[in-house]
Amino acid sequence: MKDDFYIGYLPTTTPGLGAFLKRTGLAYLAACLVVALGLVASMGGFSSAVFEYGVERDFEGTLVGGPVPMLLVDRPSSEGEPSSYVLTAFGKFGAGPEVEPHAGARVRLSGTLIYRDDRTMVELSAGSIEVLAPVALSRTVSTERTEELGELTLEGEIVDSKCYLGVMKPGNLKPHRACAVRCISGGVPPVLLVRDDAGHASYFFLVSEDGGAVNSEVLDHVAEPVRLTGRAVRRSGQTFLYANPAELQRL
Amino acid sequence: MSQGYRAVGWNPQKKTYDRVLGLGLLLYLGLFVGVGFALHPTATAETLLLRGLGTSAFLLLHGILCIGPLARLDRRFLPLLYNRRHLGVSMFLLALVHSVFALIQFHALGDQNPLVSLFVGNTRFDSLAHFPFQPLGAAALAILFLMAATSHDFWLANLSAPVWKALHMLVYLAYALLVMHVGLGILQAETSPLWAGLVLAGLALVLGLHLVAGWRERGLDRELAPGDAGLVDVCAIDEIPEGRARVATISGERVAVFREGLTVTAVSSLCQHQNGPLGEGRILDGLITCPWHGYQYDPCSGRSPAPFTERVPTFRVVLRSGRVLVDPTPSPAGTEQVPACAEQPQ
Repeated sequence: MKDDFYIGYLPTTTPGLGAFLKRTGLAYLAACLVVALGLVASMGGFSSAVFEYGVERDFEGTLVGGPVPMLLVDRPSSEGEPSSYVLTAFGKFGAGPEVEPHAGARVRLSGTLIYRDDRTMVELSAGSIEVLAPVALSRTVSTERTEELGELTLEGEIVDSKCYLGVMKPGNLKPHRACAVRCISGGVPPVLLVRDDAGHASYFFLVSEDGGAVNSEVLDHVAEPVRLTGRAVRRSGQTFLYANPAELQRL
Repeated sequence: MSQGYRAVGWNPQKKTYDRVLGLGLLLYLGLFVGVGFALHPTATAETLLLRGLGTSAFLLLHGILCIGPLARLDRRFLPLLYNRRHLGVSMFLLALVHSVFALIQFHALGDQNPLVSLFVGNTRFDSLAHFPFQPLGAAALAILFLMAATSHDFWLANLSAPVWKALHMLVYLAYALLVMHVGLGILQAETSPLWAGLVLAGLALVLGLHLVAGWRERGLDRELAPGDAGLVDVCAIDEIPEGRARVATISGERVAVFREGLTVTAVSSLCQHQNGPLGEGRILDGLITCPWHGYQYDPCSGRSPAPFTERVPTFRVVLRSGRVLVDPTPSPAGTEQVPACAEQPQ
């Protein structure tokens, strides 16, 4: 077998060499398949978040503009705080430009649900906003409750709310950084994701001290461990951190 | 051999090689995605495909890089080298699909051209932990593209074997870039020691095999100095196996000294096709046959048989008292030499 001399363009090879090649090929393939199984079995990071891709639903409620566009939907009992759905647009864009002209109005719109934990977002179907009542006739906004949570210093990771809530899995950490940068740059609201010792996640929508968008200011800090101090406010079921993004600290 | 060019010079053994390769890749991807969904029902198909394609390309690259040293350590691995180019092109295609998926998933449908976003999306060049890993993968893909695009013998002939070979040695740079792409990318998220352990094991395997193969050949490049009459004493004639060669480094070049029966000839050990090791070949049907792809040369003239046109430099050989002496000055490629003949034993 040592003297087997292989010539590829001949029709066959010697039986000894053929058997060796068969064994070698099978061993390599088996090793690759075992590696694949090991890699797949040890993968993590797939949350139970859902993006109802291809399923469009209708919603009716009051639009809230600002850096975090939302739809407030009255609860069936007409009592208590309305449900809030953060709105985003198709692709890596925020819904601000579509929502802003109708902020405060009662509308019907259609979109695709994205949800994770107790947070829900709607990817707005382009051009689907139908104004039912102009701003002055809407009542839901007046029932919004604002709760001051005081000044907090938080440590966590800045993620784009759309991917993290379900469009991408995983929608955080370094492999997702470039995507999160693109989404936040395109207007998707940035979120400071904070986990407690038990791994429970809290979501803080980042806005400036005066409530403006900070998307462009946080881009260099996305998907990294950071610390930020600001005024936490809970409104319509969402939590906001009013802070100066220049004070973001890398950990 | 190179009388003309065809897209792929198919033959039965190449077909078998490619069938096995294709089936193996389908099996790998099917297993990765299928078992991935079974174990992680909430995973997305895009992510599983992205990872399946990336890991299959990376594993294939390890195989490609190991074939060379394995073939030097044990010539039974040479058949795997014969069609290595198809492995390389397949690996490039897997990497390309992985890259296009990643480009669409992470950079498309945004406020910037995806190709621009790829390079400006992460600007943390000042931090190792946060260093942009995607441009590293893009750089490796560019090298792999260059290699795949020039893998055909047309480019080998037109670039010349040394230039082509140097170009294809860039695969080691591509591998280094990919190790960093993986280490600074997915390993920052997948913290299981298995992922990091496999990358390190793969690196150790590739480096280890190259070091061992290099160690085994360490004496080969020791330059033999000319003696009396300006001739280099290579070995005794009976040290050369029948139909095989003894390789010696003379004037900075590896020279293959072949023996067939009582005649001894010497040619450059670099095959004109891919610079394969002619000295590890053997004489078949009176022709020196390269062990890599079967290119053939006449032992006296260094010329491929008509209609083929390859030529290698030849060396004058003298036999004196059973010793093989080689003139260190190479004759131009294709120069006919008179073979040295030993006397018939009485």
